[in-house]
This record gives sequence, C-alpha cells and structure tokens, in this order.
Amino acid sequence: MSLLSIGLLYGGATLFVMFLGMPIAFALGAVATLFMIMFMPSGSVDTITQNVYEEMASITLLSIPLFILKGAAIGRSPAGKDLYGALHAWMHWIPGGLGIANVFACALFAAMAGSSPATCSAIGSAGIPEMRKHGYSPGFASGIIAAGGTLGILLPPSITMILYAVAAEQSLGRLFLAAIGPALLLVALFAGYAMWKFRREFQAALVQYKLAGVHSELLQVDTLTVYDKFALLPRVLPFVILLTGVMIALYGGYATPSETAGLGAVLALGLIASIYSVWTPRELEPILIATLRESTMLMLIIGMSLLYSYVMSYLHISQSTAQWIVSLELSRWVLLTAILLMVVVLGFFLPPVSIILMTAPIILPPLKAAGFDLIWFGVIMTIIMEMGLIHPPVGLNIFVIKNIAPDIPLRDVVWGVMPFVGLMMFAVLVLCIFPEIATWFADAIMGPK
Amino acid sequence: MAHGLDDVETGQAAALPRRAADRILAFVNDLVVKASSAALVAAGFVLTYSVIVRYFLKISTDWQDETSVFLIIGAVFLSSAAVQAMRGHVAIETIVGLLPPRVNRIRRILVDIGSLAFCAFFAWKSWTLLEEAWVEGYHSGSTWGPPLWIPYSLMTVGMTLLSIQILLQVIDELASRSRPR
Repeated sequence: MSLLSIGLLYGGATLFVMFLGMPIAFALGAVATLFMIMFMPSGSVDTITQNVYEEMASITLLSIPLFILKGAAIGRSPAGKDLYGALHAWMHWIPGGLGIANVFACALFAAMAGSSPATCSAIGSAGIPEMRKHGYSPGFASGIIAAGGTLGILLPPSITMILYAVAAEQSLGRLFLAAIGPALLLVALFAGYAMWKFRREFQAALVQYKLAGVHSELLQVDTLTVYDKFALLPRVLPFVILLTGVMIALYGGYATPSETAGLGAVLALGLIASIYSVWTPRELEPILIATLRESTMLMLIIGMSLLYSYVMSYLHISQSTAQWIVSLELSRWVLLTAILLMVVVLGFFLPPVSIILMTAPIILPPLKAAGFDLIWFGVIMTIIMEMGLIHPPVGLNIFVIKNIAPDIPLRDVVWGVMPFVGLMMFAVLVLCIFPEIATWFADAIMGPK
Repeated sequence: MAHGLDDVETGQAAALPRRAADRILAFVNDLVVKASSAALVAAGFVLTYSVIVRYFLKISTDWQDETSVFLIIGAVFLSSAAVQAMRGHVAIETIVGLLPPRVNRIRRILVDIGSLAFCAFFAWKSWTLLEEAWVEGYHSGSTWGPPLWIPYSLMTVGMTLLSIQILLQVIDELASRSRPR
C-alpha cells in the first residue's frame, strides 16, 4: 500500500471512530494499535505499553494533574467571589467598570487556576448575576465571562502551553513568559470593548428613560465607601501572593516547572485551609475527585495521542505530509493562514490537548522551515484554540455559562460571545504584525534565544 | 428504571451476579479513588520537599522527581475505571445527538465494545510487560534507579480495572436492550 493511502486511511479511520463517539483517548489508542498490527513489524505491538509509559513518564507532563489540583482547590473555594468583589469595589467608578472588573477578575483567576471552564464558573457565578442586576444585557454579561475565561489556557500555568512546549520541544519557561504580553493585549481589548458596549447600552437606556420614562438599572450609580474597598483586600492578598510566589519560584530558578506545580498545589491547599477552613477529608473530597476526573481524562488522552503520533511518525505519515507542505512553497503568510484555519476547524470538535499533540509533528516542521518563531507560534495557536472554546458548535465555555445562568437563552450567549471572537482574531492579526508583543518579554527576562 | 412484572421474574436471577459484580467494582473504585487522591497530594508534598531541601538545606535531590512520576502515573491509571464509571472520558458528541434513539443505542454498544477491545488488549500487553520487568529485574535508567515493576504494576492493575468496568457497562447495555422498555 502506498504511503499516501496509508496516511489517508489513518486519518479517515481516526475521524470515523471519533465521530462515532468513542472516547477520544480510546479512539486514538485503538487506531494506533490497529495500524501497528497491520503495517508495523510484529514485535512493535509488544512494546506498545512500554511506549505509552515512557512517553507519559515525563515529570513535565505529569505536572499537569498538580496544576489541575491547584486550580480545583482555588476554583472550589469562595476565592473567585472575593477576588471579583474586591476588583468591583475598586473599579466601579469607571464607565463599564463592572464589566472591566469581571475581565480583570477572569484574568487574575485564570492565572491562578490555569483552567478555562473553572475560571468561567468561579467568576461567572458571582459576576453574571451582578452584571445583570446592574442592567447589563444577558448576552453581554455572558460574553465577558466566556471570553475572560479563555485566558486560562493562555496565561501561565496553562496546561495547553505545557503540552505545546513538550510537543514542539521548546522551553516551557520562555513560552509562559511569551504568553503574558498577548494576554495583556487581550485583556485590554476585552476591557475596551466592555467600556464601549456599556456606553452604548447606557445611551440606549438613557434615551428610553427620556422618551418613555422607563428606568434601567444601568443608570444607577453605585456608592461604595473607602471602608468597603479595604475590607475585601485582605481576603484577596494571599492569593495574589500565591500567584507571585509561584512565579518567583519558577523564574528565580528556585524550582523546576514540575516542582512549581507541586509547590503551587500544596500552597493552594494550605491557603484554602487557613482562609476558608476547608481542610477536612469530607470537604476536600469534591476537590480531589474533580481533579482526578479531569487529570485522568486528560492524561489518558495525552498518553494515547503520543502513541498515535509515534505510529504516525514510524509510518512516515507525519514526515511526508510535512515535506509535502514544504514542497508546495507557499508564501509564509499563506502557509500560516492555512495552518491556522485547520486549527480553527479542528477546534470545532477536538479539545486543545489533542489538537496540539496530533498536529504538532505535521505543522511545526513547515512553519520552522518558513522561518517562524515556534514560541511565537505557540502563543498564536493557543489564542486560536481559545476561540474554539467560545464559538459553536462545541464551545466548552458556552456550556459552562449555560450551567451557571440557565435562564439566559443559548442564542443570547452565542451572540454575546461573537464580538469577543472578533477581538481575538484582531489580536492574532496584531501579533502577526508585531511579534515582539510576545517575544520581547521572554527575551528580556531569559535573554535572546 | 421501570420493569414489567414478567421482566422482574425472569430477569432477576440473571441480574443478581451482575449486580454483585457492579457493587464489588464500585467498592474497589471508591478505594482506588481515595488512594489516588492521597497519591496526588503526596506527589505535591514530595516536590515541595524537593525545593526546600535543595534550596535551604543544600542537599542534592535524586529520588523526588521519579517518586512523583510513580505516584501521579499510578493515580491516573488506577482511577481511569472510576472515571469511566462516571462516563468521564470525553468523546465527540456532535453527530451522536442527531441519530434516532434506536440507532444511537446500537452505536453506543458498538463504541463500548471497541473501547473494551482496545483496553483489554492494552491490559494484556501491560501484564506481559510487568512479567518481563519482574523476571528480568528492569530498573529505571536514573541514578536512583528504582525497579520498574512498581509503575508497571500500577498501569497493569489500572488498565485491567478499566477493562472490567467497560465490560460491565457493555453487559448492562445488552441486558437493558433485550428488555422491553
């Protein structure tokens, strides 16, 4: 059988079993095993388990469950509510300040928790009712939270970034740093949009009031005393300390990324025990079960994706596809656009984890040949996958919003989210024109590559 | 679940061993989840200890990374059956929702049988790997060099439990299919 037919068969079989609804981990493993039996020397099947074990037994990959534990500990505590409350108290005087406070709360929380759905539900469960109480339209409120939550896969310690670092063989520390500039850009864009949209809704409410005397909560001005502002600070400080402490441990060279994960998890458990007195086994159980559930699901997908790419590379499918893409001699930007479009389409169906591990061996060599910086591309690819978290049909965050605010019609959520998808595309464009937004900070701290 | 009377009379005898198996596995899963949770937290402490020892006491670290790898890999494989019991291994459900219920039930059974075949194959190969590592005395290549049967046995037991879990789910589905609803 020719290489092309094997490659097509491999891709086709994978799509078939996945769309049949077989769990992603088993689908990848089953297809890889089947092709090992059919096309590889008989001995290779005997090493399949050793293969999976050796690929998984990397301390960098295995730091993922610990980052999830840290996120779950913070996510299941009232920390999100406190963080949000404090930011609101300090920002309510800005037009659209409530919306902006929500964007900031999402970003800070995402940086502590490292998970997109956890951020959405932690900040959204307090933020969405509050925004609606203040007259924000339901779609606008859910858009802010859904989009703000996606920052979880961009800001360190993002699990998506850890996998990209492993798949692309790039420095994880550098990748984390490169994400900070673009994340700030997104925060600024989201906040700017929140302000603009607030003004529009405010004007409309004002016109309604003048014409028909309909009063809207939007026109109400909050008054908060200085006491209110300071009362909430002590509760937030420890978490900010945790965030900066972990960063210093990592970038000060005191701890490896995996040690940072362990340290972060232990510190987060310590903080929720001391601040919210969550420490008994009964109270910790939901946190631990949620962590195990997510980690096991993810790690099995990761292990099987690695087996899948091993088979793909043994059969020379990935190398030949990569060579074929290079031989097309596309111009740099056409190549980049084509690859990003493919990531967008895959994002319709697959979680970021599988997209990275399955496509990296195929798309990274041509990008490298075309002279793109792979650290920069990691950031761009992550933003594109962030979009996949909020646009239909899968849009994980949309469903999280549906869970915490079931009375908002799906239509409103989807329309509320769309402007943010546009803003993300705009951010990708800006990053293509000014790649320094990503690379400058990493270079400044870690020295040029 | 609502049964017809006849169904209760004829179905119960066959269902008894199945329910016992379900209960035993649920009990095992519960234990395993507790142990895995403890392992995860322990891994966090081992890594924290590693940072403290190296930076404050200036003692070089050798066993910490590998111990955490074993703890976490054990937690992941062992709890995979419990996660399967909650149907927690994600799948693409975009098209599935469009199928008529009858076709969907057949699809679900086929998918589970496929998953079972793969997991059982993987479990079997884990047993042979474990035996090899035990007989040949494989050790990890690091300076600390712990025996590899430790993580291999965790993987083996985990994949075996997972296979049994899926098998029970397949049997349940086949049984509920043969019963009129």
